[in-house]
Amino acid sequence: MNDTHSPLRGRLIVLREASKVYRRGDQVVAALDGINLEVPERGMVALVGASGSGKSSLLHIVGAMDRPTSGEVTVAGQRLDTLPESALTAFRRNTVGFVFQSFNLIPNLSALENVMLPMEFAGTAAPERRRRATDLLTRVGLSTRLTHRPRELSGGEQQRVAIARALANDPPLILADEPTGNLDSRTGQMIYELLKEIAKERTVIVVTHAEPLAQLADQIVHIKDGRLSQGAQPGMKARSSLTQ
Amino acid sequence: MSMVRIGVRNLWRSKLRLVLVAALIGTPFFLLLVMESIGDAVQRQTDVLKESVNNTLQLRSRGSMGHVNMVGNEDLLPQDALAKVKGVDHVAKAEPYLLAMTPTEGHNFAMVVGVDPDDTRRLESHGEAGNPKIIAGRDLTEADRGKRVAIIGQGFARWAGLKPQDIGQAALTLDLKRTHPVIFALDRPPVTLTIVGIYASGYVFGDMQLFMPFDTFREVYGVRDGISWLFVRADSAENLPAVEKQLRAMLGNVADIISPTTVAEFQTTATRAVQRLASSGIALAAALMVIVIFFVMLLIVRERAWEIGTLKALGASDAGIAMSFLTEAILLCAIGAIAGVVLFLFWGGALAHLIFGLGITPFLPAQYNTLAGTLAPAPRFGPTTLGILVAACLFAALAGSAWSIRQIIRLSPIEAIRHE
Repeated sequence: MNDTHSPLRGRLIVLREASKVYRRGDQVVAALDGINLEVPERGMVALVGASGSGKSSLLHIVGAMDRPTSGEVTVAGQRLDTLPESALTAFRRNTVGFVFQSFNLIPNLSALENVMLPMEFAGTAAPERRRRATDLLTRVGLSTRLTHRPRELSGGEQQRVAIARALANDPPLILADEPTGNLDSRTGQMIYELLKEIAKERTVIVVTHAEPLAQLADQIVHIKDGRLSQGAQPGMKARSSLTQ
Repeated sequence: MSMVRIGVRNLWRSKLRLVLVAALIGTPFFLLLVMESIGDAVQRQTDVLKESVNNTLQLRSRGSMGHVNMVGNEDLLPQDALAKVKGVDHVAKAEPYLLAMTPTEGHNFAMVVGVDPDDTRRLESHGEAGNPKIIAGRDLTEADRGKRVAIIGQGFARWAGLKPQDIGQAALTLDLKRTHPVIFALDRPPVTLTIVGIYASGYVFGDMQLFMPFDTFREVYGVRDGISWLFVRADSAENLPAVEKQLRAMLGNVADIISPTTVAEFQTTATRAVQRLASSGIALAAALMVIVIFFVMLLIVRERAWEIGTLKALGASDAGIAMSFLTEAILLCAIGAIAGVVLFLFWGGALAHLIFGLGITPFLPAQYNTLAGTLAPAPRFGPTTLGILVAACLFAALAGSAWSIRQIIRLSPIEAIRHE
């Protein structure tokens, strides 16, 4: 894991008055409206809100998949709102691991190849890629499924491959967008427990509708109409703050 | 796994689509190969025509046949015409002749020709059929310049009582005082020539000729200067009209110029017309390839937008993703090219022959029908064809996928989420 990204002591993510505005015809829709948020370097944060509340928009901006319309977004010491596109690509490659609701595994690659892919983009040597991908898949309990293609795996297995892929470049931040949305509750629970374990060594932000699963997080952030509406859970060890 | 390898593997994701696309791209490749083979056949035709078609102009003194002893036709071209002709652009060779006639019973007369041993032995009335075949003895050589030696046609030899086995010892005496209604006497002594060879031309009158070295002719007939006929060969049929134009401007007042220009113009026109047809076909085939690749790649990019978004979210560069799609496009074209080659090997010859026939027939005079028949295009697959295929593959892949690659670069990583 990279421990070098820490410009603000103990805080991995800092948002200052971050807003995201979309235009739909003549209408202006504020997906995020002046968000101020600090997230610590370790632990699991659950972003909870209704559909269209802005939680995914927040996740995309923190993951450098989208840019804020205004405000400052600092993640692992990098000001994402000012970085050029090429630097954002490098940021996504080295600093963030994504876990998608529909797993988004490349269908014609095996589980092992899917996990090796981000390391390929990062320029890791082939033997090291293979060794590390095998280790990660073993860690998520898929050591016997290395050569299987996504269609040969169950939903839970696919999501575990996706989690292993997210960990491939050892990023300090994992972003999971509804990771249990396509899974049954028992499998969802297992995935959450896996993410919870991963959060012991890095920051994991999970977007979810499911309040019971959100309760497993160290911190729950409620979002409504593009604004944060609730603070950290009492059990949060690292320093965090919400201001709105 | 490099992005190029991902591109290679993506190709095999849908076998059915691969077959359909290979057929779609293979068809224009097939058309391209057919057109290329027509272009090749036309080029070969042009080469053959350049050898077969008469590129040679004939100059002789204005209003005269230029025979030194022919009644009313004894005027010769001025000697300096040779140097002038050699200075004209696109003149490949100038060959001066001296001609006389000698009476022969049964055939009225035979032709006596003075020619440089290096030059073509042309037969009067059959100028395009040069260098008759030696059937006994040998031809004239450099060493014969100025010597009293000659070769004669088999008809003339028969008239003179010369047999092939006599060659080497045989001699023929020309009596320059003998006359004929169209031949006047020259006040010159008879001359005896050693006959070193007998030729056959395939023409009765062509076999009634005698060739001696040019210098020997001057001495025998006492012609100190002047030229009977001057054959001027242009460097190509295309340049023949230009050569003729310059000669007319330069020597038109002293010389008649007999030109096969119409044949040259036919050759140029026909060749250009068919080559234009072939080029248009190649351009059409290339355009079809680009269109097919354009739509196929557009479909693929739309279908895999979420994948592109995912790759971007995982940190793949735009260039890397574009490379994987470009690899796929190039391979699609390559498979299409292979399909086109297979089609071409089976049916290319027949289609090329049909199109070639339709394209060339309107331009061919009747006497060239046989020639055209022997030049039917056949499927040939050489380095040039391979080069054209590779170039076409790259062109179609690059041009056809350019728009899709632009779309790929503009796609946001958020596309990964739209999949959900």
